[in-house]
Amino acid sequence: MTARSPSHPADGATRSRIRLPLLWSDAARCRWAVASRALAAIVGGYVLSALCSTALAMWLPLARAEAVITGTLASFAIYAGAVMWVFAARSAGRAWAGIAVPAAVLGAALWLVVRGAAQGAAS
Amino acid sequence: MKEGFRQSMAWLHTWSGLLVGWVLFMVFATGTSAYFRDEISHWMKPELHTAHAASQATPAQAAGQAVRFLEREATGSTRWNIGLPSDREPDVRVTWTRPQPPGTPRQRPLAVQLDPATGERLAAPRATRGGDFFYRMHFDLHYMPALWARWIVGFCAMFMLVAIVSGIVTHRRIFSDFFTFRPRKGQRSWLDAHNATAVLALPYHLMITYTGLVTLMFMYMPWGAQTVYQGDQKTFFAEAFPNAAGSAPQKAAGRPAALVPLGPLVEQAQARWQGAAASRVVVTFPRDANAAVTVYRDAQSSLSSNQASVVFNGTTGQLLETRGEAVPAASETRGVFVGLHMGHFAGPVLRWLFFLSGLAGCVMVATGLLMWAVKERQKYAKALAKGGRIGFGLRLVDGLNLGAIAGLPLAMASFFWANRLIPVTTADRPAAEIAAFFTVWGAATVAGIAWPARRMWQVQLALGGLLFAAVPVLNPLTGGAGLITAGAAGHWSLVGFDATCLLLGAALLASAWWLGRRKPAARAGTAPRSAQAARPAQPAAPAPHPHPAGEPGLSPARHTLAAAAAEGSSP
Amino acid sequence: MSAVHLTLALSSCVAAFSALGLAMDRHYEDSYGRGKAPSSGLRRALRLVGTGGLLLSLWACLAAAGTAQGWVFWFGVMTLSALSVVLVLSYAPGRVTRVLQGGVVLAVVCAGWVVVG
Repeated sequence: MTARSPSHPADGATRSRIRLPLLWSDAARCRWAVASRALAAIVGGYVLSALCSTALAMWLPLARAEAVITGTLASFAIYAGAVMWVFAARSAGRAWAGIAVPAAVLGAALWLVVRGAAQGAAS
Repeated sequence: MKEGFRQSMAWLHTWSGLLVGWVLFMVFATGTSAYFRDEISHWMKPELHTAHAASQATPAQAAGQAVRFLEREATGSTRWNIGLPSDREPDVRVTWTRPQPPGTPRQRPLAVQLDPATGERLAAPRATRGGDFFYRMHFDLHYMPALWARWIVGFCAMFMLVAIVSGIVTHRRIFSDFFTFRPRKGQRSWLDAHNATAVLALPYHLMITYTGLVTLMFMYMPWGAQTVYQGDQKTFFAEAFPNAAGSAPQKAAGRPAALVPLGPLVEQAQARWQGAAASRVVVTFPRDANAAVTVYRDAQSSLSSNQASVVFNGTTGQLLETRGEAVPAASETRGVFVGLHMGHFAGPVLRWLFFLSGLAGCVMVATGLLMWAVKERQKYAKALAKGGRIGFGLRLVDGLNLGAIAGLPLAMASFFWANRLIPVTTADRPAAEIAAFFTVWGAATVAGIAWPARRMWQVQLALGGLLFAAVPVLNPLTGGAGLITAGAAGHWSLVGFDATCLLLGAALLASAWWLGRRKPAARAGTAPRSAQAARPAQPAAPAPHPHPAGEPGLSPARHTLAAAAAEGSSP
Repeated sequence: MSAVHLTLALSSCVAAFSALGLAMDRHYEDSYGRGKAPSSGLRRALRLVGTGGLLLSLWACLAAAGTAQGWVFWFGVMTLSALSVVLVLSYAPGRVTRVLQGGVVLAVVCAGWVVVG
């Protein structure tokens, strides 16, 4: 007895091709994925590298100006790395996650520290 | 989306390179020419060609003469800037700020060139931006606010950085393919030329791109400074660049006092630096009790752009402070990065090596752009063979490639011709020369879009080649010192300029000729085969009607379309 | 940068890249004919000469221009030398051995001059 092959690819494809509207055709989906990744890379990458450089500037155990310069010098390497991550990630979702999660963590930490310092100065 | 890390990096490399390639080609070309910005400026002022050759003076003597001139001509100024003679700039350049009636708009400081030995004003050269035009265009572009231009260039530089790094990842067998360059093989040759120029000068390309971003890094990434200093820019710059402020008085005392002679101060500073030459002297509040004299060390002594300096009291000659001698690590690193980009430290040999690497960068960007056009064309090859027309998009890319790559050298040569042909008395002469440059470039681009054919490539490359190659003839005919005169007088910068133009012109002419030599047999060879593939029913098909709008002067690979398509999909 | 140091740096670098190129199958074939390959001993020797040549040119650059500028110089010299070797390999592959031999001789002469003078 031959095993039934589960959901033969051609069947599924034929069925879906008949019914899907043009917006979700394969070519269009590919372009949306690319656009999404480009956004993640260009904008998300910039935000992440800005946050990283600020984190380095705030927390490196060096003189203030030195830490700022070090963080800013490193930012472009971080940006390039982030862009490469976005395009090497296996899916657009993973790409966004890899940018958004570290950015959120750093952003929250920095915000807390800056707000704490401001409150400390005010009191 | 392609699978696999290497393929995704290859995809990224292609797209990130193309989208900004046209701007990058211009950035590389103008940046490369800026290595010789002083020499270009000098060539563009033929009135000065014979003037300076005789005068020699030590920096100390030149400083003394300059002061005598400034005391006569620059009374009331609060700041004198004296550029001392060096190998690359043998005359003395003085600028001074003029007293500013309140409410009037800020005026540019006056700049004058002096003979180093006599302190006399040199023959007034024609008004021109000289090499500074290309230098500025490199990051400020033109006809737009500097801020926009720097963001655009920075954006492109970031793309370039990503293209380089992804290119390294993509280039498989980096050590076995390292030396492969197969000439006369169509698209493979373009790829090999691209790889060769990219890989051979890879350390340079990586360095120049990253350091370029660093030169404007406080504009591109101000967030660290903003957060740590809570927006207090002044304090940040004071702490990061202690050279700029310092212990010299910031205000005039209002009491007149004689300025101490500068010569001994310059010599004292040079002694501190173990003989390294002084490049510049700045006098603040001259003839005032609070006068201060700052002597700057020349750039060749150190990689870093943080120039060492010594500050003296202007009335007593007493040493107030030395700067730039114990710079903390991060500042020094930044200084070295900026210094590497500017290349001021480079002596003649290294400067030529940088220039060569910059040219390799131009070739790398150009071959990358051309390869993209060739690959795109192959995708449409079948449709083209059937007699279809190439789409507007591809035609536009072809035309822009033409204008950007062949049109730019043509425009640069025209700039030099305009410098000699536009009458000296023209109003706003520098802007006229610049307008000539952009007019030619614009016309070349429009012509390229109108007719993106191989002939147009040949015409523009040949024209650019002719204009460049004729520069050594134009030079003596229009008042400059020609190759023979300059060579006899030991005036090597002029000789170098003329010779380089000749070589560039020859290279452009050679490429135009080489394009013309592409055998029509190659095209006839592929054409009947494509005709057969498209119309198997018709035997003995004649060659299909000529490609509409032509190709951009590049022959597709000689092998069959199938092989070409397969090749086209792998980097 | 004195002329001798520059010649030493360039010639040893050109010799080094020629040697490294010949150690690769494809270029050895281009030079000596299809099917020929260097023996493992020869390959090892060529790679040794290549590495040694690169180090020698680095030394020459550092000696001439100091530690910081010397490294920058070395990268520039490597770029120029590699470009020349690529052109020879592409357009005149039969001449590569001659280039290698000439480079070695010139480098040895210059090195002697630097050490003695």
